[in-house]
Amino acid sequence: MIWIELATDMSLDNLRDLYQQVILERYKKPRYKGTTDPVDRHQKGHNPSCGDTIELTLKLNESSDRIDDVRFEGEGCAISMASADLMAEALRHKSLDEALEMVYKFQSMMRGEDEFPKEHRKLNVMQGVAQFPVRIKCANLCWHTLKAAIEAAQSAEPAGYVSNE
Amino acid sequence: MTLAQERTLASRLRADFPILAQDVHGKPLVYLDNAATSQKPKAVLEALQHYYECDNSNVHRGVHTLSARATDAYEGARDKVAAFINAQYREEIIYTRNASEAINLVAYAWGLNTLQPGDEIILTVMEHHSNLIPWQLVAQKTGAVLKFVELDANQAFDLEHYKSLLSDKTKLVAVVHVSNTLGCLNPVNEITNLAHQYDAKVLLDACQSLPHMPVDVQDIDCDWLVGSGHKMCAPTGIGFLYGKRDLLRSMPPFLGGGEMIADVFLDHSTYADVPHKFEAGTPAIAEAIALGAAVDYLSGIGMETIHRYEQELTLYLFEKLNQIPEVTVYGPQPNADASNRAALVSFTTGAVHPHDLSTILDQSGIAIRAGHHCTQPLHRAINAQSTARASLYFYNTADEIDTFIQSLKEAIEFFSSIFG
Repeated sequence: MIWIELATDMSLDNLRDLYQQVILERYKKPRYKGTTDPVDRHQKGHNPSCGDTIELTLKLNESSDRIDDVRFEGEGCAISMASADLMAEALRHKSLDEALEMVYKFQSMMRGEDEFPKEHRKLNVMQGVAQFPVRIKCANLCWHTLKAAIEAAQSAEPAGYVSNE
Repeated sequence: MTLAQERTLASRLRADFPILAQDVHGKPLVYLDNAATSQKPKAVLEALQHYYECDNSNVHRGVHTLSARATDAYEGARDKVAAFINAQYREEIIYTRNASEAINLVAYAWGLNTLQPGDEIILTVMEHHSNLIPWQLVAQKTGAVLKFVELDANQAFDLEHYKSLLSDKTKLVAVVHVSNTLGCLNPVNEITNLAHQYDAKVLLDACQSLPHMPVDVQDIDCDWLVGSGHKMCAPTGIGFLYGKRDLLRSMPPFLGGGEMIADVFLDHSTYADVPHKFEAGTPAIAEAIALGAAVDYLSGIGMETIHRYEQELTLYLFEKLNQIPEVTVYGPQPNADASNRAALVSFTTGAVHPHDLSTILDQSGIAIRAGHHCTQPLHRAINAQSTARASLYFYNTADEIDTFIQSLKEAIEFFSSIFG
């Protein structure tokens, strides 16, 4: 395993936590890239300091209180893109209130204060980011954008960029 | 290593920089982010310490001994900066907080009061945001129009395109000397000469050239030049504007306050002569004095010597980088003696995003920059969302380049293994 060699040779235990196999696989082959059909919510987000961008679309149920599908487009590092893909997967069939709760839980996890219960344990692979304070913004970008998408007035039109500063 | 000057320069001078002798994540620090800010030699740190321990006082107002000493040191540093860039007169140097403030000074004091609707300002697509946004603001207020010189096929300054933009409408050419992203050295003598044929003024952003090579404002004949102290071994919080004396005298004040006046009445005031007309309020005294110490330090080594050594580093860096097939380099390749570019390189690596690369290299003690380097329009022009950048200074060694290249290869190998 090159990974093991790298970790040993370079003494990079923290890196091993950061770039877990799941994260790199999602970065390489995201499962939720694209645009929902129809687009019920549409929100762009970016990190002005580094240039990472994300464009999030949501398909809601008939009563517009539950998420049927989430898709994203964007350009960014492995952390930001994998985080978006894992988020999109975890949000399916969640109510908007539950989704907002997940935003706060994720942000707490980035502070090293919390983690997700068994149902969403996949999201816990992002925990390693907490050891890299300058990269927390990368992982948070999609969640920050989701929050804006949920809180924005109901619209399929993008309401400009939300900044993750 | 085979670099001829290595034993006589970097290895000799590294001891002057205490910060370099440390481990980061258990590995010796390899500092390759010098285009963002340089490290500071002991001579500069001691100048700061000495000022606060022995001479601290406000300048230009006390008759007591400490104030006289502080004033002498502060104004003495101005002489040093003037000599460093071969300004004709010492009063052509105006201290600012940084290069951005120096550009804003020209934009507000000259641009807002001079430019008319339809006048044209020529910039380049490679400008740092600091030499773009002030002119956007001025253009919005005056109705002046911004024109942009594009890149040529080598991703360097397109001189022919520049010539095609010049006209009687051109009132200002504001251009970077060395691009902080592409590393190209722009033909500033020719740029200035051509602009002056149309009676246009020329402002030169010399932040990435001043620390690395001789810069002679009289030879270039630019009307203004801005410099950043912290990129040339001085502290943060100090930069400067050079301007031709008559031009500076013709410009109204930028900031009002103490220090910049001759006579003050309740309803009007008269102003001090340059440079003090543009230095309102208590300045960054210690930082200006330390800038003088930095200039002394660099001059003591010799800017020609620094430049020659960095040219060797550039050639070695590109020789190694060009051997990595996954690496895409932006900006021109160095010519035979690397006289066309600076010792910095922006690049991407395909599989490894610049931010991930920067995190991985940091774990090996290697500091590089990742992002858009405050040149977002340029990154759009070269079709890169972000790039990684390694930028060198005279205290860097070929061994450090080897360490950087080795870690870069390991990071690429690791990501490639996942990507299959």
